Amino acid sequence: MMLQEAEKIYYFMKRDMISFSTYKTNMALMVLSALFGALSYAYLGSNAYMQSVLETYHMSLTAYLLIGMAFNTYIGQSLTLVQRTINPWSLEEVLVSPTGLGTFIVGSSAWGFIWSTVVVAIYLAVGSLAFGVVLSVNLAGTALVLALGIGTLTGFSIIGAGILILIKQGDPITWLIGMLTTVFGNVLFPPQVMPYQLQIISYFVPQYYFFTCIRLMMMGWSIQMVLPEILTLTLMCAILLPLGYFIYSWCLRTARKNGTLSWF
Amino acid sequence: MTPRVAIEAHDLTKIFKSKVRSLEPRSSIFERKEPKTVTAVDHLNLEIKRGELFGLLGPNGAGKTTLVKILCTLLPPDEGTAYVNGFDVIHDQMNVKRSIGALFSVGERGVFWRLNGYRNLEFFSAIYNVPRRRRHERIMEVLELVGLKDKAFELYQKYSGGMKRKLALARALLPDPPILLLDEPTTGLDVISSRSLREFIRNNLSRKACKTVLYTTHYVEEASQICDRIGILNGGKLISCDTPEGIKGIMKKGEVVDIRVTAITDAQIEAIRAMDGVVDMASEVEDPVLGQRRLRLHLESIDSLPMVLNFFFKEKIRLVDFRREEPTLEDAFIRLTGTGLRE
Repeated sequence: MMLQEAEKIYYFMKRDMISFSTYKTNMALMVLSALFGALSYAYLGSNAYMQSVLETYHMSLTAYLLIGMAFNTYIGQSLTLVQRTINPWSLEEVLVSPTGLGTFIVGSSAWGFIWSTVVVAIYLAVGSLAFGVVLSVNLAGTALVLALGIGTLTGFSIIGAGILILIKQGDPITWLIGMLTTVFGNVLFPPQVMPYQLQIISYFVPQYYFFTCIRLMMMGWSIQMVLPEILTLTLMCAILLPLGYFIYSWCLRTARKNGTLSWF
Repeated sequence: MTPRVAIEAHDLTKIFKSKVRSLEPRSSIFERKEPKTVTAVDHLNLEIKRGELFGLLGPNGAGKTTLVKILCTLLPPDEGTAYVNGFDVIHDQMNVKRSIGALFSVGERGVFWRLNGYRNLEFFSAIYNVPRRRRHERIMEVLELVGLKDKAFELYQKYSGGMKRKLALARALLPDPPILLLDEPTTGLDVISSRSLREFIRNNLSRKACKTVLYTTHYVEEASQICDRIGILNGGKLISCDTPEGIKGIMKKGEVVDIRVTAITDAQIEAIRAMDGVVDMASEVEDPVLGQRRLRLHLESIDSLPMVLNFFFKEKIRLVDFRREEPTLEDAFIRLTGTGLRE
């Protein structure tokens, strides 16, 4: 009797393992996520951390983390929102309507960003009122950096959504960018705490420029003072948004041609 | 000038290329895949007149949904051309989309479960370009048309299967398009809801509103009850296209008998099928517990019947019921496709 039940459990497990193994990309991404997660929290807890923060940004650890976490909401939205809304299983109904793809992408993302703004406001209000974080916001600069950051990350997200339409599960682009944000994106700790070889990677990650600029804008710096970083972010945005649109359109055309648009 | 033909297809072809798992059992969980091509629509020629209720009938996998998806611009054809309301489905997609309302066999997709019926239609009326000042009026019109007016403000997730299909139909009707592409609209509905939806499509949409309707189904009865003309699709090819009566005419010669038997093997069924005088035969398992099967034989003449009954006697096959019947559209379908609809 016991053996029979054990055998049943084995077949449940085998069924799930075979099903899981058909999503190979997803499987690989989950393993790598664990490795990157461990790496980022190890740095967060390192001794060099506090000193480095204070030296680089002239702000308290609380202010550093607060601004990082608050604006990471936008980055998270930019990375996943488009993908959540332009998914293969709701696309068909929209594609048969006389509505352009651009309208659909912007329309599908709009509410998520409005909600993110509310979340950021809550973060900053709690930080100011409960923890005494002093902010001196450069509003125009913050808006500019935010727009560039959202544009850049949305570009990645659209690429991810396109790839998702083709491979259906486990989009590697969004995963990669999410992981790069955690470790190299200047969210929880500045890249300066890492070995020099790893710091270099940060300079190729748009989030590094976004979080550097947004922190300084929130502390009242002018746009001119961080012009090289803002120009770099502008360049990345100018490349990634049209590239994302192009790749998404190509993936969509391919899925339509292959008849796999609504597969999941 | 509005074209006389609402939908036309010339040599339309769609080929799907995919990789399928090898049939050989493997010890590894990483299975080998082999390339496969399927011609879903095969050099199809079709003309549907304006105002016509045209039924596209075919078994599962015949290419019905693929054809509908090509006509509503979701799938590009590999060869041939198609025009909807006079607009090319490849080069004039926006005008095609403005001319159609589409209902897919999986109607729940794209609908927002946490919104009520009204709010769902409000969203779709915006993306279908219904003018803002007419939106409320139009939404209430279509909700009344499909019989959901009193459920308009109930959450979609609380709708029954029938109500969900009706809302999907309401969505297709929102822009008041001249052409409706309805892909298996009665899928998942009970008998009563299914009948009422069919009557609504025939009486309200086709007869009163003079819409051109392309109605796909694999139910012969549905097509024969409501359609002006029927096209039979099999293996991506349009193998017949006529009025329901015209298609039944294929069966005018010969006799149709409907027989129920028990204790019959597949080999014995094949032996009957191969007999002289048996034109074709469909079989289906009616009661797997009792081993009861229904055989529908098309005989050259009634003179062939004793031979079949003699075979039952010799093989000790038990005859449960026997009926001589008028040929139906289903018989014509079986004759044309060489398959039963439920196979």
